[in-house]
Amino acid sequence: MAQTKTKKADQAAETHDHGHDDHGDQHFLSKYVFSSDHKIIGIQYGITGLVFLLIGFCLIATMRWQMAKPGQPIPVAGKVLEHVYAHELGGESKPIFENGVMSRSAYNQFGAMHGVIMVFLAIVPLGFAAFGNYIVPLQIGAVDMCFPRVNMASFWCFFVGVVIIAASFFIPGGPAQAGWTMYPPLSEIIPTNGQIYLLVGFILLITSSLLGAVNFIATIIQLRAPGMTWFRMPFFVWAQFVTAFLLLLAFPPLEAAAIMMLIDIVAPGASFFSPTGLMVAGAPADISGGGSPLLYQHLFWFLGHPEVYVLILPAIGIVTEILANTTRRPIWGYKLMVGSVLVLGFLSFIVWAHHMYMTGMSTKVATFFQTTTMIISIPSVILLTCLFMSLWKGSMRFNTASMFALAFLPMFGIGGLTGLPLGFNFTDIHLHDTYYVIAHFHYVVAPGTIFGLLAGIYYWYPKMTGRHMNEFWGKVHFWCSLIFMNLIFMPMFAQGMDGMIRRMSDGGAAYGAADGVVGLTTTSLALNQNISHAAWALGLAQIPFIINFFWSLLHGEKVKNDNPVEGTTLEWQTPTPPGHGNFTKKIEVYRDAYEYSVPGASKDFSPQNEPAK
Amino acid sequence: MEIPYAEKPREDTGLYNGKAGIWLFLASEVMLFGALFSAYVLLRVGADPGTWSLGLMNKWVGAFNTLILIASSVTVVLAWIYLKQDDFAGFRRLQWWTIIFAAAFLVVKWSYEWPAKFTHYDITFTSNEAARKHMGAALPGGFSEESVKDIWQKRYDPHKKVWDDVELKDKPLDGHIVGYWDKEGKHHEVGAVLGVPFWSKAWLWRFSQPSEKKADEAGTPTTFRKYNIAAIELAPAHGVWDKDRASSKKPRRVAEGHGSHKHDGDSPGTHGHNTVKIPREDIQRLTSFDPGHSTFFATYYTMTGLHALHVLGGIFVMLYHLLPISRRVWTESKDRFANRIEITGLFWHFVDLVWIFLFPILYLL
Repeated sequence: MAQTKTKKADQAAETHDHGHDDHGDQHFLSKYVFSSDHKIIGIQYGITGLVFLLIGFCLIATMRWQMAKPGQPIPVAGKVLEHVYAHELGGESKPIFENGVMSRSAYNQFGAMHGVIMVFLAIVPLGFAAFGNYIVPLQIGAVDMCFPRVNMASFWCFFVGVVIIAASFFIPGGPAQAGWTMYPPLSEIIPTNGQIYLLVGFILLITSSLLGAVNFIATIIQLRAPGMTWFRMPFFVWAQFVTAFLLLLAFPPLEAAAIMMLIDIVAPGASFFSPTGLMVAGAPADISGGGSPLLYQHLFWFLGHPEVYVLILPAIGIVTEILANTTRRPIWGYKLMVGSVLVLGFLSFIVWAHHMYMTGMSTKVATFFQTTTMIISIPSVILLTCLFMSLWKGSMRFNTASMFALAFLPMFGIGGLTGLPLGFNFTDIHLHDTYYVIAHFHYVVAPGTIFGLLAGIYYWYPKMTGRHMNEFWGKVHFWCSLIFMNLIFMPMFAQGMDGMIRRMSDGGAAYGAADGVVGLTTTSLALNQNISHAAWALGLAQIPFIINFFWSLLHGEKVKNDNPVEGTTLEWQTPTPPGHGNFTKKIEVYRDAYEYSVPGASKDFSPQNEPAK
Repeated sequence: MEIPYAEKPREDTGLYNGKAGIWLFLASEVMLFGALFSAYVLLRVGADPGTWSLGLMNKWVGAFNTLILIASSVTVVLAWIYLKQDDFAGFRRLQWWTIIFAAAFLVVKWSYEWPAKFTHYDITFTSNEAARKHMGAALPGGFSEESVKDIWQKRYDPHKKVWDDVELKDKPLDGHIVGYWDKEGKHHEVGAVLGVPFWSKAWLWRFSQPSEKKADEAGTPTTFRKYNIAAIELAPAHGVWDKDRASSKKPRRVAEGHGSHKHDGDSPGTHGHNTVKIPREDIQRLTSFDPGHSTFFATYYTMTGLHALHVLGGIFVMLYHLLPISRRVWTESKDRFANRIEITGLFWHFVDLVWIFLFPILYLL
C-alpha cells in the first residue's frame, strides 16, 4: 500500500515540476519508511549501520571475556545469553552457553558474525550507503539520485538481507561459524543452517550494493549541477565514485561464489569447492569431488581486497572534507589526490592474492602479487601525505569533528604501514593468521574508518538535524575512544609477532604451558586481559556519544544559519535540514571545491555557487 | 521535483540516465558471469581424469536454442525501430515475437534438456569384477575392453591419455533406471516411483555406499531404504552400450531418453536391447546427471540456470511493457517509453551474448 503510494508520488514528481518540499502531505510511511528520497534512505542506512555497529561490538566484547578469562562464566551477560541463545549444535547435546560459560562453538559463531556484521552490515552501509546517499547528491547540486525508486529498492533489498542474517542467530544450531571469510570446505560441512542464511543474506546484500553502485555512478555522471565540472567536485564525491565502481565490479564474483557455495550445501553431492577425497568426521564425504577450495578463496578475495578500499575510501573522503573546512585552507594536491584514488581503484583489483600467500602458490605468482601490493601503497601514501600537507599553516578549528578527522591520519597511517610486512610474502609467512593481521586491519578499519565516520556524524549532524551535538561530551568521546582504541590494538601487534594465532577460543591459553618452547610467552597471554579491559572501556566510552546523539536531536544548540560550519561545498547551500528536492534556489557552480581563505575575498570561504568577481 | 536527463540526453555526456544505468548494470553482470566462466576454466583444468564429461550435450538442441535467441535479438531491435517510427502496433507485434522466442528457449531448456538429464544415471562400482560383470551384461557381445575403452574415451578422454589412470570400477556405466527388485526378490516397474516432478527426480535415486551405510545406521530415509531395494534394473544408454554404437559414428547425446522404459529406445527383446540387474552392494555411487554428479554438471546447471533466470527476468520486463500501463507512458512521453525499450533491448542483447559464450563452452568444447 505504502509502496504504491510512493510510486504514485514519484510519478507525479516526475511529470510535474513541483517546488521545494511539496511532499509535506505524504503519509508517514511513504515519507519516512518507504521513501525514495536520498536523504531519508541515507538516514535509514545510517541507523541500520549504527545499530549493527553496536551489535558487532557487543559480540566481540563477549568474546573478549572468553579470551581474557577462558572457561569462566561471563557475569550477568552469560546468564542472559544462556536463556536467549539456547542452541544445541548438531550432534552435540551440550548447550552452547553452559552455566554462563561461552562454548567454543559460540565463540566461533560470535567471531564469524562479528566480522560479517562489522564489514557488511555496519561499515559499508555507514560509509558508502549512508553518507554517500545523504551527501553526494547535495554536494554535486542534484535534486535526488538518478533513480530514486531503485535507491529505495536497494535499501529494502539490503534490509531483507540484514533481517535474514540477523535471524540466523535464532535458528536451531545458531549462525554461521566458519569465520567471516567462510572458507570451504569447513563452511560447507558444519551441520547448521546458519551458513545458508548467511549466503542468502549475502546474495541480497550484493544485489543491494549493485543497485546502489549503479545509482551512485549514474548520479555523479549525469546529475552534476551546471558548472560542476569533474575537477570541481569535492573529493568526497570522487571517493564515493571510486568506491561505487569497486562495489559494482568486485562484488559480483562474491555473488557467484555465494551461489556456488549455496548449491554445494543445498544440492546433495555438489562440490564446487570441496576437493576429491574429503573426509568428514572420519568418513568419506558424500560428494562428487573435483571441487577447488582455492577457487573460493580467489573469488572471495577478488571481492575482499577491493572491499578494503570500499571500507576506507568513504572515510578518507569525509576526512578530506572536514580537514579542508576546519583548517580553512584548500586541500593540498587536490588533483593529485583524485589521480591517486583512481589509480588505487584500478590497482585494488590486482592485489587480491596477497591474502593467500599460505595457499602454496608458486613463487612467481606470489612475486607478482607482492609487487602490485607494494605499488598500491604508493597512491595510499600520496593520499595520506596530501592530507598531512593540507594541515600546514592551517588556522585549525578544533572541534570534535576535526579532532576525529585529525586522529584518523596517524591511525590510518599505522594501519597502512603495518600492512607492508603482510604484503611481502616472506614476512607474511610468519605473520599470517596471527593477531598482527588483526591489529593491522583493525587499525585501518576501527580507529581509521570508524573515526572517519564519527567525524562525519559530528560534522554533518547540524545539516541533517538543524542542531549541534554537544562539544564537551564529543571531546570526552573522542579522547576516550582514541586512548582505548590504541590500548586494544597496539598490544596485538606484539602478540602477533610472538606467534599468537587468531580464532583461538581460549586466547591461546592452551599453548601457555609451553612457555618459551614452542608456545606463546606468558607476557603475550597476560596482554589478553589488558586488551579485554580496554575493549570494555571502549564500549563504555561510546555511551556519551549515544546519549549525545539522541539528546542533541531535541535539545542541542540550534544552528544559527544554513551554513554553520562556513563551508564552501554545496551541501551547505541547502535549507536545514534539506527538504525533498534539496535546493530552494537554482544552483550554478563557479568555483573549485575548497576555496577557503581566498586572498582578497571578504570572508574566509567562498561557496562553490558564489559567482567569481 | 523532476530528475533531469531522464528523457533527453545530457549534452556533455551524451547519455540519458537510464542508458548510463544499464551500461553500469551490464558491467556488473559481466563480472558476475565472468566469475562463473573463470570458475569453469579453473575447475575444468583442475578436474581429475575421467570426471569432466565431454560431448554429452545434444548440440543440435543447443544450436536450436542459440538460433532462437539470436532471432529474439533481432526482433527486440525491430520492436524498438517500430517504436522510433511511431508504430506502436508494430512494436507490440515484434515485442510479442521476442517473448515467444524467449519462452521457447526456456521451454526447451526446462522441459526437455534439464529433465532428460535428471533421468539419466551414472553408476560406478565397488570392485573391478562387478564393473566387468555389469558392463559385460550391458554390451551386446559381452565384456570387451576395446568397447568400454571406446565408450569411455569418447566421453572423458578425447586425447586418449588417461585410460590407465582410472580404475575400471570408477568408470561409469550409464543409462535409465527402468525397474528394481526389493529384498523379497519381487520386481517392480519404476514408473510408479518416478511419478514425481522432474526437479525431485534428480535426486530420487541418489546412492553412495558410505552415505547409505550411514543412513542405515541413523535410520534416515533414502529411496533405497524406503522401497527396500536390493537391486536396480538399468537400461544402458541407447546408442552407447548397445550394438548401435559400432555402426554409429555420431557422438553420444544425453538429451534423448525420458526416463521411462518405453521411451528408452527399443522395447526389450526387439533387437538385443539388454537391461542390467545391478545389486545394491555392487554400486559404489549412483547419481543422475544432476549438480551432485560432478563439477561439470554443477557448473552446467549453475551457468545455464543463472542465464535462464536472466531470460525469465527479461520476459517479465517485456511483458510489463505490453501492459496497458505502458500505453499510458507512451502517450505521455514517447521518448521516455522508447528509452525504456532501448534499455530492455540492451539487457536482452547481453543475455544473448552470455549464451553465445555458454553454448560453445558447454556443448562444443
